[in-house]
Amino acid sequence: MRLPNLDDLTTAGSRLVERAGGVAGRALVESSVRLGVTGLRRAGKTVFTTAVVDNLLRAGRLPFLDVVSTGRLQAARLQPQPDPDVPRFQYEEHLKSLSGPDPRWPEPTRGISQLRLAMRYRSTSALKRVVQPTAILNLDIVDYPGEWLLDLPLLNQSFAEWSALTLELAGRAPRAALSADWRAWLGTVDPAGRAEEELARTGARLFTDYLHACRNADGLSLIQPGRFIEPGDFENAPLLTFCPLPGAPRGRGTLWELLEERYDAYRTVVVRRFFAEHFARLDRQIVLIDVLGALNAGPDAVADMKRSLELSLEPFRHGSSGWLDWLFGTKIDRVLFAATKADHIASSQHPNLRRLLDDLVADARRAVRFEGAQVDTMAIAALKSTETVMAEHEGQQLRCVRGTPVGRDRETVLYPGDIPEMRDVFLRPYQFMPFKPPPDAGADGRGLPHIRLDQALQFLLGDYLA
Amino acid sequence: MTDRPTKDRTWVPPMEIDPAHAAPVPVEEDAPPGSAAERLPALLAEGQRPGIGRWLFGALAALVLVALGFDTADLLQRSFATSLALGTLVAALVGVAGISAVAMLVRELRSLRRLRRIDQLRGEAGALMVTAAQGEGDRFAGALGRLYADRPDLQPALARMKDFVTDAHDDAEVVRLIDREVLSELDRRAYQTVLLAARDTAIVTALSPAAVVDLAVVLWRNLKLVRTVAGLYGARPGYVGSLRLLRRMLANLAVAGVTESAHHVAVEALGGSLVAALSTRVGQGVINGLLTARVGITSMHLCRPVPFGPHNRPSLGKIRGELMSLPKQVL
Repeated sequence: MRLPNLDDLTTAGSRLVERAGGVAGRALVESSVRLGVTGLRRAGKTVFTTAVVDNLLRAGRLPFLDVVSTGRLQAARLQPQPDPDVPRFQYEEHLKSLSGPDPRWPEPTRGISQLRLAMRYRSTSALKRVVQPTAILNLDIVDYPGEWLLDLPLLNQSFAEWSALTLELAGRAPRAALSADWRAWLGTVDPAGRAEEELARTGARLFTDYLHACRNADGLSLIQPGRFIEPGDFENAPLLTFCPLPGAPRGRGTLWELLEERYDAYRTVVVRRFFAEHFARLDRQIVLIDVLGALNAGPDAVADMKRSLELSLEPFRHGSSGWLDWLFGTKIDRVLFAATKADHIASSQHPNLRRLLDDLVADARRAVRFEGAQVDTMAIAALKSTETVMAEHEGQQLRCVRGTPVGRDRETVLYPGDIPEMRDVFLRPYQFMPFKPPPDAGADGRGLPHIRLDQALQFLLGDYLA
Repeated sequence: MTDRPTKDRTWVPPMEIDPAHAAPVPVEEDAPPGSAAERLPALLAEGQRPGIGRWLFGALAALVLVALGFDTADLLQRSFATSLALGTLVAALVGVAGISAVAMLVRELRSLRRLRRIDQLRGEAGALMVTAAQGEGDRFAGALGRLYADRPDLQPALARMKDFVTDAHDDAEVVRLIDREVLSELDRRAYQTVLLAARDTAIVTALSPAAVVDLAVVLWRNLKLVRTVAGLYGARPGYVGSLRLLRRMLANLAVAGVTESAHHVAVEALGGSLVAALSTRVGQGVINGLLTARVGITSMHLCRPVPFGPHNRPSLGKIRGELMSLPKQVL
């Protein structure tokens, strides 16, 4: 078990106070829940968050959300931001780009953003109703990049362990070519040599280039450490100038020691801060995954995704069981893994898509479930941009999707292939096509059309809205 | 990868298709009901073998009918012989009686058919809820819509349900939507009816002067309850239908166990005897009320087109609480 350091103790202390206050206040009038939204490589976080907010505000398309279907939800509205130092999620802007006669997908967001939504509802519990006829739930949606989630396991890895893992991964098939330059350079340096800034900078640059190449390559999702790609405020800071080194730890004054120090600084300043300021305060988490994109890209991409998923489940292993975890771990007790863009395949394929995702997270999930957090999977689409239609092909009736592909003006009908069982995933090719958002989405005032968004919300928030 | 052997010959490669050749997924509203209903005999089957008693009954009924026919013909002849006016009058009476008998028969048959239809729907719903297939859900929704076509009170719920169902929902989801949007309202009303009936029987039994009276009242109230609940769910049973329901219910009361675990039954019995020790009459009232409640809840189970799930089963708990507070009110 990792020993908590002093920093952890102080932040844990302040969190304890906050939580105690929350517990006392919750019984009375308002309660609040923080929902973390993250996703691996272009999984559609922004669209998801926009669709969730829009649908909760209008509540016209959520038959599977109990609080709506039983008529207990009175109203939802946007509230001022609670945290002064976190950017606001630009809901209005994103909604505008998604709806209207000429819709486009919003620009991908970088970094963290947040939005607070207050929901006023009638509680089912008689006791609560006596205190207050209508209860208020403040829903804070925190949207952060999936790479930050993948960074969290670094907290438990030493520089040597991390180096070994990263080097091993970089030597494998799809990445070997991308990392060739950097690994060639590694061959020329001596980790036990004198610590020189120039060496560290060259190594970091080559390593960053490799990570960028991974990101731009089709279908690779495991990118670690995340800030090398999106440095934000840390551009050119020393804590971003390190890279994994082969071999065992070396003595004082060596290159190894310099890079190890920087790795530790990265962990303290970037990862631990994210953990304490944001992640540890989340109550629920949804991880969006573009399974179809990985299938499109081939077996390597799927293997890579499986690894990322296992890594991303790591932080939830501590569940909410022991008191020590309650202090130092997360309090997330429900995690939903959602395969997004389910509208790119015919609706009859959704169960298969979900089963595939189930298989991908199966091993990691078993451990998590055992230790506390409840994990579920779902095939969803935050914005439904196609329709399932039937088409005849050589005497066979095929279930296809109809929509307007990105970059075209006219509708087309696509048969994307069917999703098989995990073991023969790559026996057959796929062709999933990105579609444009439907014109005039949500113009009927009922919220953006979606697939299973309501069931996802019921799983994530249902008990808070009981 | 395309040249790898594929398992089945019907495999189709991914491709684009001319939009002109595509059509929305058809909604087969009037397809013949699948074999799903037969696969799931959720409740006790009744009268599998026509026994000797049935033959006896049938023969006797036929005899009575023949005798009635002869007598009527005789009566007609005699009245016409007496006077034309009397003959016409009697003929008219016979005509009215005959026509209304036929009408009643037709109504009974139709109500029986509705009951069977609901049974069938329940079987289908049960099967749809466990498969993740697609395409049958719309048909089911259509069948249910037709069943409730003459219910103006359900039209808003049905319209809402139609609005919600998209081409992305699979069968189980469609059935769950129907359950939540349309049937939950009916459940609430049916439960209220059962609650009232249970209270009525309890009070009447507690206050009635003679045992015969409360026996009659309990029987009548139970029959009425069964008909009301069945009517709420769209079964509208006639006399024969209600009797049949009641009979099936008695058969199922013990077997289906309503929602009761052994624990609940024990509590119920214990509570009943405790109250009985206080006052025999009131105790009897509570027991009778509970019986009525069980009859009502069983009839909810039997008349609902979609089987109850674990989260929305009606429970005796609330009714029991209500009944247990009765002694205080009455005494």
